[in-house]
Amino acid sequence: MAEFGIAAPSVKVAGNKPATATGKALSVVALRKTYGDVVAVDEASMEIAAGEFVTFLGSSGSGKTTTLMMIAGFCEPDSGTITVGGRDVTRLAPQKRNLGFVFQQYLLFPHMTVQENVAFPLTLRGVPKDEIRRRVGETLEIAGLSGFGGRKPRELSGGQQQRVALCRALVYRPPVILMDEPLGALDKKLRDQLQVEIKTIQQELGLTVIYVTHDQEEALVMSDRIAVMRNGLIEQFDTPRELFERPKTPFVADFLGAANFLPGRIDKHDGEHTLVRLTQSGTLLKARRHDLPSGTEVKVAVQPGRLRACATDDGFCTGTVEMATYVGTLVRAGVRIDGGDGPLVRLEVPAGRGPVAGERVGITADADDVNLFPTDEKAG
Amino acid sequence: MMELRKSLAGRIALTAVATVILLFLALPIVVILVTSFSNNAFASFPPEAWTLNWYKALFADGSKWPAALSLSALVAAMSTVFSLIIGVTAATALVRSELPLRSAVFALVLGPLVIPQIVTALGLFLLFEPAAMLGSPIAIALGHTVLASPIAVLILIATLRGIDERLEDAAASMGAGRLTIARKITFPLAAPGMIAAAIFSFITSFDEFYISQFLSSVDTVTLPVQVYNSLTFEIDPSVTAVSAILIAFAILALGLVALVRWIGSGRQDSLLSVENTVGVANPGGEAV
Amino acid sequence: MAATLTAGAPARPRKLLASRRTRVGILYALPVVVYLLLLFVYPIFSTLLLSLKDADGSFTLHWYADALTGVNLSVLFTTLRISAETAVLSLVFGFVLAQAITRLRPILAGLAMLVVVVPHFVSALVRTYGWIIMLGDKGLVNESLTAMSVPGAPFQLLYNELGVVIGTTSMMLPYTVLLLYGVMRGVDRRLLAAASSMGAGKVTIFRRIYLPLVAPGLASAGLLSFILSLGYYITPALMGGPNQTMIATLINQQVTKENQWNGAAAQGVILLVLTLAGLLLVKAVSSLGASRKKRSAT
Repeated sequence: MAEFGIAAPSVKVAGNKPATATGKALSVVALRKTYGDVVAVDEASMEIAAGEFVTFLGSSGSGKTTTLMMIAGFCEPDSGTITVGGRDVTRLAPQKRNLGFVFQQYLLFPHMTVQENVAFPLTLRGVPKDEIRRRVGETLEIAGLSGFGGRKPRELSGGQQQRVALCRALVYRPPVILMDEPLGALDKKLRDQLQVEIKTIQQELGLTVIYVTHDQEEALVMSDRIAVMRNGLIEQFDTPRELFERPKTPFVADFLGAANFLPGRIDKHDGEHTLVRLTQSGTLLKARRHDLPSGTEVKVAVQPGRLRACATDDGFCTGTVEMATYVGTLVRAGVRIDGGDGPLVRLEVPAGRGPVAGERVGITADADDVNLFPTDEKAG
Repeated sequence: MMELRKSLAGRIALTAVATVILLFLALPIVVILVTSFSNNAFASFPPEAWTLNWYKALFADGSKWPAALSLSALVAAMSTVFSLIIGVTAATALVRSELPLRSAVFALVLGPLVIPQIVTALGLFLLFEPAAMLGSPIAIALGHTVLASPIAVLILIATLRGIDERLEDAAASMGAGRLTIARKITFPLAAPGMIAAAIFSFITSFDEFYISQFLSSVDTVTLPVQVYNSLTFEIDPSVTAVSAILIAFAILALGLVALVRWIGSGRQDSLLSVENTVGVANPGGEAV
Repeated sequence: MAATLTAGAPARPRKLLASRRTRVGILYALPVVVYLLLLFVYPIFSTLLLSLKDADGSFTLHWYADALTGVNLSVLFTTLRISAETAVLSLVFGFVLAQAITRLRPILAGLAMLVVVVPHFVSALVRTYGWIIMLGDKGLVNESLTAMSVPGAPFQLLYNELGVVIGTTSMMLPYTVLLLYGVMRGVDRRLLAAASSMGAGKVTIFRRIYLPLVAPGLASAGLLSFILSLGYYITPALMGGPNQTMIATLINQQVTKENQWNGAAAQGVILLVLTLAGLLLVKAVSSLGASRKKRSAT
């Protein structure tokens, strides 16, 4: 049973880090998968440290689920390798990988009670009965399910079922737990609550989690690092802050920050800053230093929340407020920039200081919040 | 049907007509049950006096019934085993794998259910007669399996479709091997369907008449053939008692299927609900 | 059953994996396919061959000529007539009963369905015997009629066409009730509500909305009862007289009494062809119904 990596039954469920909590938990090298002519996953590579919460974020068809399924062993890669705790598992059957998996549809065994469901993986590993009872009890307690052990899955709510599924995946302390949109079937409020619960449990137990979702907010709330995927490629694999503030591609800037894009050309570099001449207004904009040569056509990307309205002669450009919508603590404004017919520039400013429709405003942003992307790169 | 609700009189009329039709269905059965205890076993109703003589006569010396009953039970048991083997493998192939010509295989399975049984029986007669296998219990069981196995296949297809395949994936993700998954997940979930398939295969064979009649010989006569013979050639009043026993047996089997199905479905509907009853009557319904 | 899981196990690209799943499928399909080919398809083919063979083994159609002339032809017509009568009666009774079950209170509906389903599982032979007891000169029906001083009672209810049709209809009724109940449950009740919101009366709704929606189901149920009645043997043989001989009875007689296998084979093939034609019709009707349902859904 040693190959399952839980040979030490003395591992406490709470408090202790798992035995594998040092170094890499999982690495993926040049993973590739095609379905006929369609490349589902294209040379994906990444290393995940023990205790890390990593999210694969992307819309459907981005390859995030296929990647997860290849790690789990439910789908076989065309090429590439997957290593878990230093062991090459690329060609192993799912049952030999010793991973945990939480499915969107819960997939609790309907003929077993909650207790039996959670005990199932331990039974497979030949854990003694007393030990099973103790660990199942502890795990259910962590998930707030004490007293539910005797129930059948169908007697539980969706949220409770997903908590049981979570318990079942972590009770045997697999080195990595994979979660495939586990909150996708729940309503918004329950989802928010469970996001926090899962994150808390993950941190307390030091679990290594790979999480798949299409929900940007969910990814930002839960993850240590996020792999943004698109068309089978990992666009960027970074911390939420880096992705948000330093997107490497227009797609990431758009997908995570819903950025405004303005066409422009690099005018010159000035110490720590780069100056860009905006095509539409003809005015100059100060961005943080960028290595692109002068004269390069660029896209300027700034998130709505990082733009401010100011006096007309203070900003990098001027325009007329065409619409302003009050949304609770914020006002969302759309500003028509002078000098052409570009799309409305979207601003999010704190309510109370918001501009009103028809007002003439200047727009400004900190140079540090302005990202530049060369135009000839793939479109965002 | 709120929109079509008729007046009170209309409702009463509908209920009355429905009751008459239900009597039309139920009376022949009730009459047999009652007559089997009547001192005049033939065509007289209601009985003038009660007796158990016809039941006693079943097991009297020289009675043909015990032999017919044991032959039918033997044949039905064999047929059930064959049908379950065919049913489990075929349902697995049709539901859980990639099968070329799947619809052709499915049509082949449905064939014996829609082709007139007399035609199937004639074909089997032409097959077994030259092989000198008429009267062989194995030949009769093989013949009955042609009719019983499609029913088992349909029931098991519906059963397998009702089991989320990803439950097996979930078990594998926790480290369960193929055998463990089959033993601990798939089999317990499929058990109600397998029991239903077994009961239906057994009844199908036990009640089968056409094939039995063509394949029986003078010494090997199944229970339905013996009943038929008693009704046409040799007047034997015990046939009423046998019929009553067959009715009791059918009701028992049906109740068993209903119970298994009800427990298997997690006791959601009422045991006597229309849906449960329809499901019992048509256990492979979802598969067609 | 666990085969799908291990699809990921061997170190092979997907193409071979797919073929592995296919191999598993073929392996598991083998028992049923081999069994039914040997004991169902092959015997029917040899029946067909036999029906085309003369005593000396040469090709002939005279068994068919025999089957379609004289007494045999009238037996064929009797078969079609009794089947049609049975189909119509069981369709009408089945419609009324299924309609009542959809409207009854749940407990009563459950009981009614039980009364439909139990006979469905009692051997046809036994139920036929029940009818013989009931319809005899001193049976329940005639005794009751005599007691009520109905003029003309007792009636001859057995060994004529009336007896046969009563019997076959009661054999067929559970099927039609189950089929029609399914059809009626499939009707989207909101369509009826929509019609009444537009001011349609009960009769109009029934005639213009409800009936057209259930019509394909009714047609399939009627056709199916017709097809299933074609091969009936027990009930006509036991409850009918010489004028109610059906084709299955004739086949049986030729095999068991006259050793006339070729003629029986030809009649079997005719019965088979009639059945297949009926099934094709059922399929056409149900695809019509499916397209209508699709249209009503959009």
